[in-house]
Amino acid sequence: MIQVIVNGLSVGAFYALVALGYSMVYGIIKLLNFAHGDIYMLGAYVGFVVLGALTSWLSLPTALGLVLVTLVTMALTGGAGVLMERVAYRPIRHAPRLSLLITAVGLSFALEYGVRQIFGPKPSHFPVQIDAGSVNLFGATITTARIIVILVAGVLMVVLSLFVAKTRQGRAMRAIALDAKAARLMGIDVDRTISLVFFIGSALAGAAGVLAGAVYGTIDFLMGFIIGIKAFTAAVIGGIGNLYGAMLGGVALGLLESFGVAWLGGQWRDVFSFLCLILFLTFRPTGILGGRVVERM
Amino acid sequence: MTKNSLVQRLVLATAILSTLALTACSGGVGGDQNGPNDEGPIRIGMLAPLTGSESVYGTYLRNGAEMAVEEINAQGGLLGRPVELVVEDDGCDAQMATAGATKLVSAGIHLAVGGYCSGSTLPTEQIFYSNGIPQVITAANGSQLIEAGLDSVFLVNGLATQQAQSAVKFAQKQGAQAIFTVDDGDAYPKGLTDAFAEYGQPAGLNIVAHEQINKAEKDFGSVATAIVGSGADFVFCTAYVQPCALLNQQAKQYGFSGDFLIGDGAVDAQFADLTGAAYVERVYGTFTQTPDMLVGAEQWLASYQAKFGAEPGPYTTQAYDGVRVMAEGVRLAGSTDRQAVADAIHGLRGFDLFSGPATFTDQGVLADSSFVIVVLKDGKFVLFDDLKS
Repeated sequence: MIQVIVNGLSVGAFYALVALGYSMVYGIIKLLNFAHGDIYMLGAYVGFVVLGALTSWLSLPTALGLVLVTLVTMALTGGAGVLMERVAYRPIRHAPRLSLLITAVGLSFALEYGVRQIFGPKPSHFPVQIDAGSVNLFGATITTARIIVILVAGVLMVVLSLFVAKTRQGRAMRAIALDAKAARLMGIDVDRTISLVFFIGSALAGAAGVLAGAVYGTIDFLMGFIIGIKAFTAAVIGGIGNLYGAMLGGVALGLLESFGVAWLGGQWRDVFSFLCLILFLTFRPTGILGGRVVERM
Repeated sequence: MTKNSLVQRLVLATAILSTLALTACSGGVGGDQNGPNDEGPIRIGMLAPLTGSESVYGTYLRNGAEMAVEEINAQGGLLGRPVELVVEDDGCDAQMATAGATKLVSAGIHLAVGGYCSGSTLPTEQIFYSNGIPQVITAANGSQLIEAGLDSVFLVNGLATQQAQSAVKFAQKQGAQAIFTVDDGDAYPKGLTDAFAEYGQPAGLNIVAHEQINKAEKDFGSVATAIVGSGADFVFCTAYVQPCALLNQQAKQYGFSGDFLIGDGAVDAQFADLTGAAYVERVYGTFTQTPDMLVGAEQWLASYQAKFGAEPGPYTTQAYDGVRVMAEGVRLAGSTDRQAVADAIHGLRGFDLFSGPATFTDQGVLADSSFVIVVLKDGKFVLFDDLKS
């Protein structure tokens, strides 16, 4: 039982980190950024390159090295997110919604096959792996890697909530989510704030990508696709556009899958999670938190 | 809006694919290459996954075929005509493979060699057959491939059922008490676990549970939990290399300490890297022999490395052999006629292949499958047991 919960939490932590970016972007410009999953993949590859460069320059302890790599990667994928918004989305922000969506799908393919062109189709082996054994808790085997994932995701989410709730930029984001035109009239720099949202969302996805590389030890150019879809599902379950909804949805989806596998078997995992998506869309399209919290973001 | 968006992405993807398929068809018809003829080069069409999750194997297939074609041309070609290889992407996807096969036919190919995924190779059989093109399938080996009973389709890789029998034999030799099987739901891996159960149960093997994983995932913690919970001492994973390597890693992290057997789709030099150095003990695979296991193949290996600057991978040799089998058939038949070539290949007795002397059964599969057991040692798979005794 505990084993099933821990399995679900660690997978859910990944979903939550990626779902946050999905949800924030949707909250502020009503765009489903289908290229978001590929930013996660990009994060894994950026981490892979940075880690390679770093270990050849200086020898750091693994833990410190990983933290450093995660931070650098977050900055770089965040930058990639901003660039993506500036180049691909901003020029057509006022075009029909479908144009944005198609651009997002196109970007997704461009990122996937661009990375494949550079690094090849073979999965790459991540040079550092968190692999410090496991602990036993009430009969459940919990690997250190899983604990680290849950902790890192937790810390990042707390920092993000504080940022959105307490800072000026956070308030600007919430204001734009409510009414972009009014926010502009109040003197908020809308373009800058949207860039910031893309930066934060992409940085979180990048961090998740590095974590995935460090935990599972392998990365490949298609790794972002399925997690993108799952994160989208998580965002919908939690209430898309809602920050806490994305966190809750990610963890909920991870747990649902984990219990689904335990009860029904592995072949039912995706059937089960997408069935949940359909049920939510039918009976509660606003998600778990969507109805209660009026204020988006 | 959210519901529509997901639907839209799917609709869009379908639209793009069908547009590609349409342009693929019209390209050949409108072009100047119309149908096979008796002049000019003999064209060999190859379908291989060059994009998508299986794309790493597509390159191996193409390289192997290229090498054989180059050798044939260096020896003066076939029937006095040069040989040309035309490669199309099947993306390991039935729709793409169908479009690719149609495109190859309209590009005027005379012979078809290739196919990695059984699910995407299956629909191409009928297309080639009805266009009078004999076909040698290089890597795909699902049992469904011979069910249509087409007499000009040949498989140079042993059948899944033959491989399953080798796996059963190995499990018995290891004295496995409780066996856990895992596949990814694709036609071939699923066929292999099914066949394993079919042959294993009468042989007295105790298969305690079966699970399916999603090959695009990386976290198999739930399945690892199930393996440990079932008390299994032997796992048979028939998915491809990355999922099996990750499952091996995660199952062992959770305390599994038995034998981990993988199907031929996962036997790749990358396995050791992907699974991590701490978990390489007791990893076995069912596999046909590869050049580095064979004596006397050093020269072949060296020229491969010189040409492509890399080591050959799984199925490079099958693709190389597939082209050679086809070429031999054409040489003996004296033409590229489907029936004549098929008869000639059926008539081969002990034709020399990497996997041993080849003779084809009436169904077009190798009479002697050459599956052996390999073991992961010092980061490479080496011969462990040839199952002859």
